[in-house]
Amino acid sequence: MVEFQAVQQRGFHNYYDENGNIAGFEFKFVPRYYKGLWFTQCRFGNVEVDGEVYDRDCISIIYDGIAYSREELFDLKRYWQFRTPIVVRVPKKGGLSVGYHDVVMNFGWVLNYNGALEKEKDGSGLGNMAHMFGTKNERRMLLCR
Amino acid sequence: MSEKAATKGHPSRGISLYSYQSLLGKTMTLDDAFEEMYDTGATCFEFLTSYIEGYPNPSPKWVDHYWMLCEKYHLQPAELGHWCESHLHRGPKMSDEEIVEELKQDFRVANLLGFKTLRTKITCTNEICDPEPGWQSYIEKALPYAEKYDVRMQNEVHLPTTLHTPHIREEYLDFIRRTGTDRFGFNIDFGTFQTRAAKGMEDMPMFHFDDVSKPEEIVEFLPYCWTCHTKFTNMDENFEETTIPYREVIKLMIDHGWSGYLLSEYEGALRFKAENSVEDFANAMEGIPDQVRRHQIMMKNILGY
Repeated sequence: MVEFQAVQQRGFHNYYDENGNIAGFEFKFVPRYYKGLWFTQCRFGNVEVDGEVYDRDCISIIYDGIAYSREELFDLKRYWQFRTPIVVRVPKKGGLSVGYHDVVMNFGWVLNYNGALEKEKDGSGLGNMAHMFGTKNERRMLLCR
Repeated sequence: MSEKAATKGHPSRGISLYSYQSLLGKTMTLDDAFEEMYDTGATCFEFLTSYIEGYPNPSPKWVDHYWMLCEKYHLQPAELGHWCESHLHRGPKMSDEEIVEELKQDFRVANLLGFKTLRTKITCTNEICDPEPGWQSYIEKALPYAEKYDVRMQNEVHLPTTLHTPHIREEYLDFIRRTGTDRFGFNIDFGTFQTRAAKGMEDMPMFHFDDVSKPEEIVEFLPYCWTCHTKFTNMDENFEETTIPYREVIKLMIDHGWSGYLLSEYEGALRFKAENSVEDFANAMEGIPDQVRRHQIMMKNILGY
């Protein structure tokens, strides 16, 4: 079971490197869409926290215990199971401060549904479904550690 | 069905799990969904491939559990909603052979889970769902496999597409008649007959209702139709849907001997607003199962069973 929002508060915390130092923060994300997706069709965008932008090519996407870059996911012919969150890991020295944060996950996908075919066939955009579902997923969340 | 077929049809009354999609995996498990459907008196259901745990390779344990649920709640698999993917990878469209391999995968899954009909979403290029050119080639190559796995693909006719949208006749019907296949046809979504926005959706101008399908148009398509989405967007407290001419359409189907699956598919405001706020989600939690129950009561009143 997941929370009803796309950006999940359960799983929102700083993470640590092997020396015990805070290396960044992470949260879980599950698409709002009514079906699962092939990772090859997913288009991951930037993460934003309190207005600060974290580039999509600097974040890691963890699925079933394995961390992938955005680029690697284009070749991952694996089905993102419905209502199964990924972990979005964002490097940031010192992490986020304890307290409330406005978190945005930009995400789109490619699907053969009721619209023009994807124009950015190189994966540079956010897919072809924004006209129906948008790409911005935001939530105010409380970080404790 | 020909005019000679005087025998009345006997459609089955069922539910599409899509109706509960806002709740599935959030407050409703698959077991809960089956129990909910059982309560309505439905006898059959539609799954989407996404609701198969481990898709496209569900574990034997999950498959056993699935069949246990079907048996426990006396529910029969009717239709599996799937996607005919032609753009799975960056770059150009996939080859026919690659697309057919994906289709075969879904046919096998459908066969494993007892689904005889499929809602096959073919890549389209605009709002009225004109198909991407070249679809005939790979669908024709997939027909022998549909025969092998005993499934029938159905293109969904979904608002704003109507039964008189040119591609329905000029492409899909032409394909069926040219190939003579009985493995490809139409899932006619009742939303295509909707004449106005339902209560609660007046401020959601997703569709226009100035050109919709007329009930009598369905007759020509019945020989190529095995499952319909009985779409609804709002059921009132008297168990009536007031924007779609349900009784007229279903009478035509029965009078022409149609005995397929009619699957309640809720796609109303509660579903679109569910993730907007805690209040909206609470409304969806209570309202969506209630809407489906109301719709099932209406369908029972129309069908008489």
